[in-house]
Formats: sequence, structure tokens, C-alpha cells
Amino acid sequence: MTANLILEDVYTAYDKADVLEGVSLEARSGEITCLLGSNGAGKTTTIRSILGLTPPRAGNIKFNDAALTGMATHRIVGLGMSCIPEGRKVFPKLTTEENLRLGAYQQTDEKVIQQRIAEVYEIFPRLEERRDQLAGTMSGGEQAMVSIGRGLMSAPKMLLIDEPSLGLSPLYVKENFKIIQRINERGITVFLVEQNVRQTLAIAHRGYVLSKGRVVAAGTPEELRANEEVHAAYFG
Amino acid sequence: MDLALLGQYVINGLMLGMMYALVAVGFTLFFGVLDVIKFSHGDVLMVGAFTGYTTFLGLEAAGVHMPVIQIVLLVIASTVLVGLLGAAIAKYLILPLTNAPALNILLATMMLGTVLREAVRLFFPEGSNPKRFPRLLPDTVIPIGGFDLRVDSLMLLIAGVLVIVAIHTVINRTKLGLAIRAVAQDAETARIMGINFELVVLVTFAIGSAAAAVAGVMNGLYYNEINFGMGLLLGVIGFAAAIVGGLGNIYGAILGGFLFAALQTIGAVALPFASAYKDVFAFAVIISIMAWRPTGLIPEKVSERV
Repeated sequence: MTANLILEDVYTAYDKADVLEGVSLEARSGEITCLLGSNGAGKTTTIRSILGLTPPRAGNIKFNDAALTGMATHRIVGLGMSCIPEGRKVFPKLTTEENLRLGAYQQTDEKVIQQRIAEVYEIFPRLEERRDQLAGTMSGGEQAMVSIGRGLMSAPKMLLIDEPSLGLSPLYVKENFKIIQRINERGITVFLVEQNVRQTLAIAHRGYVLSKGRVVAAGTPEELRANEEVHAAYFG
Repeated sequence: MDLALLGQYVINGLMLGMMYALVAVGFTLFFGVLDVIKFSHGDVLMVGAFTGYTTFLGLEAAGVHMPVIQIVLLVIASTVLVGLLGAAIAKYLILPLTNAPALNILLATMMLGTVLREAVRLFFPEGSNPKRFPRLLPDTVIPIGGFDLRVDSLMLLIAGVLVIVAIHTVINRTKLGLAIRAVAQDAETARIMGINFELVVLVTFAIGSAAAAVAGVMNGLYYNEINFGMGLLLGVIGFAAAIVGGLGNIYGAILGGFLFAALQTIGAVALPFASAYKDVFAFAVIISIMAWRPTGLIPEKVSERV
């Protein structure tokens, strides 16, 4: 089950202003690849480009051998891509279970869906207690569980995670990073977008630093920690 | 007032309420998935009635005279063709305009309504005049005290309830319905889930338009008369019903539809010397309700959209 994601010289614009200016990076199968950067660097735009929500205006995005550029989002998802979006984005007026079911929308076998729901409840027993509760009425931490569980429901080859620690208490943040590591250990390739440098580099195999729409540094966590630019930007 | 007259008012009110509810459900579904107001909806209803009428003429010409077969076929033809029409309107007119200001969609669909109206008026011989819609349902009555309950009215009401229950079931009990609700709440995240957004929108427009076609055929079967402008008032009333019930909410739309019909009926009863003013009365009350509850009787915040 390989899951290599490659971006080649990607330019993405909202209206006419380029937000990504020639981003090239690679997320290797089986690894956790992180993309670090401050607000407005273009991290979320990178994810939107990969998913086809804001299609790039130039450049190539390849997932294994498929060219994602120009493909509709639901087809990209059908290739084994899944996403835990920024701000969790649970469907507030649907129950926990309905949210999870939507994660496996393209799965038609009810038995498989049931089995995956059971797996998610195993990871997050709290969700089973709240299976019929509307997601919008749950706490931020619980919504994060719904969002992560929903992202796993399609049994993806690759999981894109956009700022999982945003708006969560430090305790949950720590818990979240542990869960991401566990997900990766199950064989799912992870592409993690974060601002939280220390915790991200602690679990990543490889990372990129994005600044003003360009990749300014790349390497292993050790290399990035030693990189002066990264230091200047984050550890100051 | 005697029982016969009261019964007549009640049945008539329920029948109108059913038609309004069916139209309002469409408005609310379209707004739910795309945040758009589609002003051609009333004229789509009219196309539904005329599709049914044309099917009837075709069957007569083909020598099919059994009312049961005629009604089944004309309902199928009307709902299927108008469902496709609704999907086509969404695909070629509304989806391309989703990034334009909302006013543009309003205008474009309003103009489309005129196109549909004029096309029907010019296409049918003497299209400006009302057309006689066939009486296909049994004309027997069930006497209840002094009141004669018409069997055809009863059948139409039951059919309306079944359609509404069917829509409710699709929205709340099926995978397609789950996708529609997801798109209504957050279209982008729905796409991330692997939902084919465009397909869901088209199907939703098909469902809403087919419901309007049912209302159009129902109108024809009840009054035995249709005309090219029938969708204008029904569209405005359906829209008002959807708004007053809380746009985006199906139960609100149904409530709004029956509320409007109730107001018209009360207007007709309470103003015996001026019953022609019943619409004036009903719209005036609706305006007051809107001023009192601007977000509708069942506002979106506390209720599940679609």
C-alpha cells in the first residue's frame, strides 16, 4: 500500500494573487511528513490544492501514479486520500455516528462501515457514549475526536491533517500528537500541517518549512532543528 | 355556518396548504444546499401541470382511455420530466452562477420563469386561455352528516401526505439524505468526505422540482383547470411559506404552507362580503409574522437545516 504524494512547482492563487509560489515537496509512503510555517504562509492552501478545493493554476500534484491536478475532490478522496480539516469542521447538526458515516461515504458495504465505526470507538471510547449526540453540542476536544475518527473511516492510504492543535488545550494537544503517531504506526502515511514546531518535529520523519508561499527549508527533524532560518523564525 | 360549508372550507384549505407546502419544500431544499433563491420555481410547477395535461392528450390520441392508467402515466411523466428540468436548471443556470452575487441568480431565475411561461403560452394552441384539465379521479362522495366529502379530494390529500413523508424519509433515513444534509451544513467539508457535490445538488433540485410538479398536477386535478400563469401566485405563496416557516427547514416550509392556506381560509370566512380580499388578508398577516419573527417560525439556528 504505497502512498507517495509529490508536489512539483505548484502555484495556487485566490482570485489573482498567488498564495503558493512554486511549492515542491514530497510526502513519502509510511512516513509522517510535516509542513511548518507561520500564519499566512500558505499551509492550508497547500492542503486545499492537494484536495482540489482550490485547484492550482500551475504545477503538478501526483499521488502514487495519479495526477491530481484538475481532478474533482470526491475522486481524489476516492484514491485513498483523507483529510482532518483545520478547525475540525464537524457537521454540527449531525450526530457523532452520522459524522463518522460521512467519513466512509464512498464505502458501500454496511458491514465494513460498522466495523470501522467500532474501530473508531475503540480508539475513542468517549465517542461511543456520545454516538447519538449532535456534534455541535460537544466540547472542542470531543469534536477533535469526531474529526479524527471521521478521517479514519475511509481507511485512507494518506491522511492530511491541518493544524490539529489549533484551539485545543495543551493536554489535548499532547494527546492529539500521540494519536497521530499511532495512526501512522498503523501504516497510514501522514501529511501534517502545523505551527507547533517542537511537538511536530518530535513525531515527524521529515519536514518542510513554508514561508510566504515558498519552501524555505527541508530535511529531517534534526536538520530542521539545526537550521538557522527555522531557529530564527520559531525558536528565537 | 353549517357543517357542509365548514367542511368545504376545511377540505379546500387543506388542499391549498398541501400544494403550498410542496412548493415551499422545494424553495427550502434549494436554499439548503446552495443558499440560493430560485424564482422560476412556480413556473416549474406550471410546466409540471402542462406536462401532465400534454401526457393526457397524448394518451387520448393513442387510444388509452382508462383513467387509472392515464393518471399513473401522467404523474410519472410530469414528475420525471420536471425533475430533469430542475436538475438541468441547476446544472446550466444556477451552478455556473454560484460565485456571482446572489442577486444575479435571483434575476436569472426570474427571467427563466418568464421564458417558461411564455414558451408554454406560445406553444399550446390558444395558450393564453385556461386549459381544461381532465377529471380522472372518481367523482363519488362520502356523505358525513350534511357534508359531502369528495373522494377525489381525499385521494389528493393522501397523495400529498405520501409525497411529503417520502421526501422526509429520503432526507432523514437514506445515505443520499445524509449527503444532502451534510452539503447543506458545510458544502466544502462534505466534498472532503468524498461526496460528489454537484451530483447531490442536481438530485436535490430534481427532488424539489418533482414535488412542485406533483403540486401542479394536484392543482389541475382539483380545479380541473390550468393556465400558463398559474405558477406566479403559487410560486410567491410557496416562497412566502418557506420564509415564514424558516428558510432552510423542511418542517418550517410545511408549517408555512398550511399556515398560509389557513389564513386564506380564515380570510374568506371572516370577510364574507369581501372574500376576494382573502389573499390581501393572508399576505398582510404573513408580513406581520415576518416583522415579528424575521428568521421564521422555526429559525435555522435551533433547527436542523434541510
